[in-house]
Amino acid sequence: MIHNTKYKLTIGWLYPELMSTYGDRGNIIALSKRCEWRGIKVEVKKLDVGFDHKLLAACHLLFMGGAQDRQQEIVSKDLKLKNKDLREMIEDGIPGLYICGAYQFLGKYYKEADETIIPGLDILDLYTENPGENHDRLIGNIVVSLGGVSIPPLRWKNTMVGFENHGGRTYLGKNIKPLGKVIKGFGNNEEDGTEGAIYKNSFGTYLHGPILPKNPHFADYIIKLALEKKYKKTIALSPLDDSLELQAHEVMIKKLK
Amino acid sequence: MVKILISIGKIISQISRSLNLGNGSTWPGHIALKINKNFVRDALATSDQRLKTIIVAGTNGKTTTGKLIQAILEKSGNKVFQNEAGANLLNGIASSIMMHSKNGKITSDFAIFEVDENSLPLVLQQITPDYLVLLNLFRDQLDRYGEVNTIAVKWKKAIEQLNNQTILILNADDPQIAFLGKNNKNTKYFGLEDKSIAIKTPQYAADSTYCPNCHYKLTYKTIYFSHLGDWFCPNCSLARGPLAKISSYYPLSGVYNRYNTLAAVLVAKANNVNNETIQQSLKSFSPAFGRQEIIEINGKKVQIFLSKNPTSFNESLRTVKELNGKNLLLVLNDRIPDGRDVSWIWDVDFEEFIEKNINITVSGDRCYDIGLRIKYIEPLIHNTKYIIQENLGKAIKVALNKTPKNDVLYILPTYSAMLEVRKILTGRRIL
Repeated sequence: MIHNTKYKLTIGWLYPELMSTYGDRGNIIALSKRCEWRGIKVEVKKLDVGFDHKLLAACHLLFMGGAQDRQQEIVSKDLKLKNKDLREMIEDGIPGLYICGAYQFLGKYYKEADETIIPGLDILDLYTENPGENHDRLIGNIVVSLGGVSIPPLRWKNTMVGFENHGGRTYLGKNIKPLGKVIKGFGNNEEDGTEGAIYKNSFGTYLHGPILPKNPHFADYIIKLALEKKYKKTIALSPLDDSLELQAHEVMIKKLK
Repeated sequence: MVKILISIGKIISQISRSLNLGNGSTWPGHIALKINKNFVRDALATSDQRLKTIIVAGTNGKTTTGKLIQAILEKSGNKVFQNEAGANLLNGIASSIMMHSKNGKITSDFAIFEVDENSLPLVLQQITPDYLVLLNLFRDQLDRYGEVNTIAVKWKKAIEQLNNQTILILNADDPQIAFLGKNNKNTKYFGLEDKSIAIKTPQYAADSTYCPNCHYKLTYKTIYFSHLGDWFCPNCSLARGPLAKISSYYPLSGVYNRYNTLAAVLVAKANNVNNETIQQSLKSFSPAFGRQEIIEINGKKVQIFLSKNPTSFNESLRTVKELNGKNLLLVLNDRIPDGRDVSWIWDVDFEEFIEKNINITVSGDRCYDIGLRIKYIEPLIHNTKYIIQENLGKAIKVALNKTPKNDVLYILPTYSAMLEVRKILTGRRIL
């Protein structure tokens, strides 16, 4: 299956030890396999607490998942030291997928249930507030439409399916677009019908854990962006047999109708 | 009042059984608690003085440990009752008290209650147990239980409210569980001391690898699985406590069952059961339903390994591999008892446990999700064929057909899937 081609990607996996609460590894597996099956070499760099910030510059694609509160505290301290590097990469258009806690980190601040304000990295124009303990967490299966938002039409689908589980409600500022519109579920804040965010080639989303295996069109879109950014030319990915992925995707959409 | 409620409960339970509304393991208790929210406390207060209560909690192993304790205590001549597996909220406990009362009074020597992680604090407000057995805390059903740390904090508070009547039986190898015994003199610790069954690299789904006291990263001298092992904190020097000296025969396969067995033996020893009786009862032990239970069907052996979260799935796979299993049926449901979120299957180390030339069939409500997980093990299982069959009955048939005679079909289901599998295989309904 694996061929030697001239293409190679380095994926930077931010805090795999701490920001990996619920199946986040599925995204790294999906990205790696979908590259390998096409003969694109992949190296996954695990960037855990205390990593050398210079390692970031060697990455062509970044991924960071969600975490439990205690883990998030530890990561936030470390991440502050890497703020400058991460900001430069995001501004430069290095593709990245930031899920749940990671998505919230990139914003201006997170207001906790007891109204304590935790400053974010302030890279993306958004903020998150937890409305307090009398409000339910937003939990459940979710379907999102990417149609009409800022991603070009993808190969076979303009929907994404996943699962969300978050207490914080995220609100987008003027300088950032949503990733999609909620068809079923809650999304950013259960009020404005938006889900996630896109800024340049960085994507934030509440579809937690393994978002990419069941949304291979989105996985491929991120891979393509990373290759094109690295090799500075248009690259067409060879098609894969995605019948099982498509079925897993469609079954969920039908189930939720 | 307690007497009247118990009589009503028994009638409800009978009606519920005869109308086939389930076997009545939660309804009567539910109604009794509606009428008297302190029903459990009141009922236990009117029981015989000799009644001792044992509570068993933890993410994995409650049912097996409870059944092991029951087997040993009964063998040594005690009258023991237990709430039904899975009916482990306060209403299930109330129901079991009603069912095992005579003339409004409990006449047993021991009551064993397995308790749901979230319900433990509430249950401890009603029952001050003689023994509190805490097995482990793993990530499980994040959508229902929340985070591991949150539960650990709630447990700590609940335990601090207990008086010194309760003896804590704690897993020393799970840092968060061990920490619950800090500063409590009535604590006995069980743990493993066998490097031959240790694993070399930490598993991906390990949760509590940070010090419960100072949050510094823990160091492990030995890891048995997930975050269980011989640990210490290089920062505040908190470490695994001294283990009770026990050795035992292990009636069930799997490292996880060694912990369950040690916990049960420790409870038995604390009750002065002699070692001979303990070992005898373990040798004749038969597993709880769905927990390594063996069912014969058309001359073929089927063994069911309940696999409900990443750690339990990993340990099932590891045990099946040790048993040289070649035929697998994985059944993934996403109903309320399973958790609605199936993301966790990506935390299971299939890559490590699935070898070449294994027959895999997958089924369940989320058969395409688990099928996809198997697909992405490639190229490790290149040449290994897997079949996706939505209909569970057909899937069992297909998997059995692929299993050669004299071979075993290993079924790894989530909770509700396990009940369905049993119903199909035995034609009986449970819970």
